[in-house]
Amino acid sequence: MSTLHVLSHSPFGDDRLTSCLRLIGSADALLLSGDAVYALQTGTAPFTALQNRQINVFALAEDAQARAIEVPDWAEAIDYPAFVELSIHHDKVNSWL
Amino acid sequence: MNSMTVGARAIELDKDGFLVDLSDWSAEVASALAAAEAIELTAEHWEVLELLRSFYAEFQLSPATRPLIKYTALKLGPDKGNSLHLNRLFKGTPAKLAAKLAGLPKPTNCL
Amino acid sequence: MAKSLLIISRQSPWSGPGAREALDIVLAGGAFDLPIGLLFLDDGVLQLAAGQNAKALQQKDLSANLQALPMFGVEELFYCADSASTRGIGNLSLDEAQPLAAEQITALIDRYDQVITL
Repeated sequence: MSTLHVLSHSPFGDDRLTSCLRLIGSADALLLSGDAVYALQTGTAPFTALQNRQINVFALAEDAQARAIEVPDWAEAIDYPAFVELSIHHDKVNSWL
Repeated sequence: MNSMTVGARAIELDKDGFLVDLSDWSAEVASALAAAEAIELTAEHWEVLELLRSFYAEFQLSPATRPLIKYTALKLGPDKGNSLHLNRLFKGTPAKLAAKLAGLPKPTNCL
Repeated sequence: MAKSLLIISRQSPWSGPGAREALDIVLAGGAFDLPIGLLFLDDGVLQLAAGQNAKALQQKDLSANLQALPMFGVEELFYCADSASTRGIGNLSLDEAQPLAAEQITALIDRYDQVITL
């Protein structure tokens, strides 16, 4: 069983990312959308936390571009059709509302 | 706004006939509400109304049908805590009608 | 067979409608007899603190409502042990809730067909 965790809040001043990283399983994946892509800001604590966890990280390309965030090579920038495929590929989606 | 006169008092009701101010409830108000539904309250009705009032005092919400049946079975035994008995007493909609007569808010999860 | 649903409630009881909305989903699911579980995570564990007084803020008593969960057929109640200890919550108002460590929560999420985090 695998879960796609979807985050959309900025990791600064919000503990969703921290909590998610505590619970995420090794077969799970993480998708960053909206302000959650700020977690990929080079050199920040969320960036390091993500880099150190050997999990699959995806980011919505347009949300990253809009925010001048460069998606690092250990993560994958995807578009909406790829987001849909990713959702289908996993047994369930957990959106951290 | 609906209202109902009990004794010398006018009691305010919402559009579905539930008490607007829950503290208006009394045994006479319950009997008057029941009369409006063409029900004459018997001892069997009263024990369910009292049960509902204790459910509300304990949990601060009105039970949906299943929890009402479960709670009744727990407190009064399975002979009374079943849908047949409760439906017979309260015209087939025990959660909604009994809550109304017991002076509880309308159950939000009443399905 | 109905799909099983896990609700993860992670808002404090006094911060806004999140805690109440999570509970409403669970109560509605229970009334439909759905296989449903409820996990208190992060600030959500604050909902379980004993001795809260809703009257002080003239609000509805969420902790009293939580006691009704078993009556609504919701027996699978869990809380994150780390979240509780971080927040100094030792005395819980809901006896039925079981503490889980992080890796047990991962396994819990795996067990359900669907998950909603509020």
